[in-house]
Amino acid sequence: MKLYDSFRSALQSLVVNKLRSALTMLGVVIGVAAVIAMVSVGNGASQSVQNTILNLGSNLVTVSPSFGSDNGLKGAGAQAQNLTLDDMRSIQDQLGSSIAAAEAEQQAGRWQVTVAGQNTNTSVTGVTEDYPVVRDWGIDSGDFFTTSDLSINAQVAVLGATTATNLFGDIDPVGQTVQLRQAFGGGGQSGAGAQRARILNFRVVGVLGVKGSTFGLIRDDQILVPLTTAEHVLTGRLNQVSQIVIKATSSDTMELTTSDVNNILLQRHNIDDPASADFSVTNQNDTLAALSSVTGTFTLLLGAIGGISLLVGGIGIMNIMLVSVNERTREIGIRKAVGARRGDILNQFLIEAVALTGLGGVIGILLGWAITEVVHRIPQAASLPLLITSGTVIIAVGVSVAIGVVFGLYPAMRAARLHPIQALRYE
Amino acid sequence: MTDSVVQLRGITKTYRIGRDITVNALRGVDLDVRPAEFLAIMGPSGSGKSTLMNVLGCLDVADGGTYVLAGENVNKLSDDQLASIRNKHIGFVFQTYNLLPRLNAIENVELPLIYGGDRNARRQRALAALEQVGLGDRIHHRPSELSGGQQQRVAIARALLNDPSMILADEPTGNLDSRSSAEILSIFQRLNDLGKTVVMVTHEPDVAAHCKRVVRMRDGLIAHDELVPRPRRAEDELLVGIGAAE
Repeated sequence: MKLYDSFRSALQSLVVNKLRSALTMLGVVIGVAAVIAMVSVGNGASQSVQNTILNLGSNLVTVSPSFGSDNGLKGAGAQAQNLTLDDMRSIQDQLGSSIAAAEAEQQAGRWQVTVAGQNTNTSVTGVTEDYPVVRDWGIDSGDFFTTSDLSINAQVAVLGATTATNLFGDIDPVGQTVQLRQAFGGGGQSGAGAQRARILNFRVVGVLGVKGSTFGLIRDDQILVPLTTAEHVLTGRLNQVSQIVIKATSSDTMELTTSDVNNILLQRHNIDDPASADFSVTNQNDTLAALSSVTGTFTLLLGAIGGISLLVGGIGIMNIMLVSVNERTREIGIRKAVGARRGDILNQFLIEAVALTGLGGVIGILLGWAITEVVHRIPQAASLPLLITSGTVIIAVGVSVAIGVVFGLYPAMRAARLHPIQALRYE
Repeated sequence: MTDSVVQLRGITKTYRIGRDITVNALRGVDLDVRPAEFLAIMGPSGSGKSTLMNVLGCLDVADGGTYVLAGENVNKLSDDQLASIRNKHIGFVFQTYNLLPRLNAIENVELPLIYGGDRNARRQRALAALEQVGLGDRIHHRPSELSGGQQQRVAIARALLNDPSMILADEPTGNLDSRSSAEILSIFQRLNDLGKTVVMVTHEPDVAAHCKRVVRMRDGLIAHDELVPRPRRAEDELLVGIGAAE
């Protein structure tokens, strides 16, 4: 019996039992759609996390202060203040061109910012001149401040794109002056003692390009000032940078840069035992690896849920194929009487099962794709890139065909083994 | 060597019913069927004629004895080999027609060629066979759209398709009225006239009277084996039937 005839008779019998075929297929359709939709959501989520991390700048090695352990007791990192601008300069000097750039930052808290009747409340950060290079962040208008601004604690500022719009509207802020105010004794929030406030004038030298948000933090609403200005004028906390960020030349040199930075700082801080270092060095590869293992598990879990519905669909196929074999016992007898061999009968029923699951798989892919499109239109998930990869599709079709073979095999074998006389006598 | 289509020697077949009841359905049957014979197998129920029919049709295998069909020894063949023998050498006609309800007439007739033989001329040969039984104008009808007699004619066309060594008919007129029965019998007689070997199981003496030779079974053995001196011609009865109707 040629394959063409098998296919024809398989399709014929599916068409005859339209409703039953459709309902049977539904199990596989839902299973495949679930796998496709879930895996694509999972892939999208991991892609989104990755994009978010890389949005902070690429190939970054970050040094944060932390208490070294003292007889096994570790302090809280947030309170440790032992990284300095000189640490960063020393890293720049010693590593030279083997790194792309480096910068140091100090958080200067939230300030009320006013200009000509407009005002806003935003966070101010002291950074060094290479901040835009390290963070892959372009300047929209004007320039970033320079080392000479740092050396004289110049009261100059670079505005985030949103801050600039809030304060100046369509006017170009470069060259304008903004006032930073902060109430005494408070965290910058106006309260009981808000009458007495410090007022500082800053000249705007540049506006940052639009970056978008990272982990919910809108990074376009901020003001950058020279690190030294932040230390001496805004916070008074000298030689206490909150982090040093080094940009490696490429992803491949990140490990090397990490250990170089580690060695330089251990030496500068006179620490012999790396375990008791008063700082911690992390690189983006580690972060990405940690996150991708989380999202990978997540994707696997979602895929497994889809897989279970596929399994249930497969059992449905087996059930219906058994019913079908039973119903068509007489047909099997007739076919055997006119010369059908076991293999012919086996093929016929197997192809029928595979046609069911294969068709179900194709419909399932379309449905899964439709689901991801719908998910995409939900505002909360709009930023998720939903990825239906060709790999997902191939696996889904392959699995559904395989389910047809696996769950169709037993009924088909039962059909093939029927004795022609008993089959012909079957009522 | 023999020129017989069928040569049975000492065929035995025992069925086991339940744990300890055995039925000796065939107890050493010898039978020769020569080419162009028209043979009726008769006998009461339980005489073993159905079992003999199944063995002749290679649907079942005898426990003992030898069976040579068209020069081929078919003892101890595997299921698949028996399927090929059925496809090549035997055309079945059943009491209940046994057509596939979902296929139309010509597709039913084509069925044996799906499983063997020359596939290229499938449609033409099926059409020729249907014309031979007088159904050339009904080829796209489903079995449910045909009368019993027409369905049985489709079944005969199917049996003819692979040009088998023997047509094996099991009570072919059992479900038909006398006029349709006469039509079916006249087709068998015409085919026999053209040289086809036909073996027919029946319990109706009227039907057996159309055959050239009658074999009577009793208790798993052949009790009588005799030639019919002047077989009745079904065409004559059809003419009479038409005359009577008018």
